[in-house]
Amino acid sequence: MVILSRNTVYSVLYLILSFFNAAIIFLMSNAEFLAMTLIIVYVGAVAVLFLFVVMMLNINVVQAKEGMLKYLPFGLVLISILLIELSLIFSDLPVFPESNTKIDISELLNNGNSNTKAIGLHLYTDYFIIFQISGFVLLVAMLGAIVLAYQKNENYIKQDVIRQLDSDRKKAIKLNDIKPNR
Amino acid sequence: MNILFYLILSSIIFSIGLLGIFINRKNIITILMSIELMLLAVNINFIGFSNHLNDLSGQIFALFILVVAAAEAAVGLAILTIFFKRSGSISVDEINKMRG
Repeated sequence: MVILSRNTVYSVLYLILSFFNAAIIFLMSNAEFLAMTLIIVYVGAVAVLFLFVVMMLNINVVQAKEGMLKYLPFGLVLISILLIELSLIFSDLPVFPESNTKIDISELLNNGNSNTKAIGLHLYTDYFIIFQISGFVLLVAMLGAIVLAYQKNENYIKQDVIRQLDSDRKKAIKLNDIKPNR
Repeated sequence: MNILFYLILSSIIFSIGLLGIFINRKNIITILMSIELMLLAVNINFIGFSNHLNDLSGQIFALFILVVAAAEAAVGLAILTIFFKRSGSISVDEINKMRG
């Protein structure tokens, strides 16, 4: 439904629906913090950003959909090949090793930590460098978006500091010698 | 819950995202949303294996994927906005105008 609906606003709404479903799946598999983050980040920020852009650029809907049937058979063939391959892999899946990286969820939960606290305990110690790098990625993305979307406004009068400091009394005031009674 | 259900669900969602990239050649917004769907599929895989292996690292990496997806959406939408302002359309076929 996200990819097939004719109106882009509807597909954004279906995207929000699928993110809600994914959040519920996360809740069922012991990832409460990730589920709440998914709802807050996606439904709160990214989906609103998508909706904003969709409404800001009023797009000709009929023209935007005209090439869909041309690529549909090719895409369907490719996707079915991918799905068949994946199902063949899953059908004779080896038994996954039960070893992990020594961060046991059940052990953390038995020690009285909630899911959020456990993530915080490992995010700020073991994965601190990656955490900092992801913060930097967000900063660069924010600056990039601002620089890309910024447009110069010519009507805006700015203070020119050099010109202001450069002016003095002799330049600003012109004395004319006017004789009276003439 | 069996790990196979997570794998099947995430592969279906990933395929839907890939199909969306193929059939929506005239609409970059939908292509960006398809990329979001594919990242969501990867996240479902991470969470499923984290639950299966009783390991917290999967959840932490899913968090980082969330960060990257948000950054990508912001930059992609900014590029889309200035492209629409320049050319008046969001078709993929006309993107080669951007060169030079």
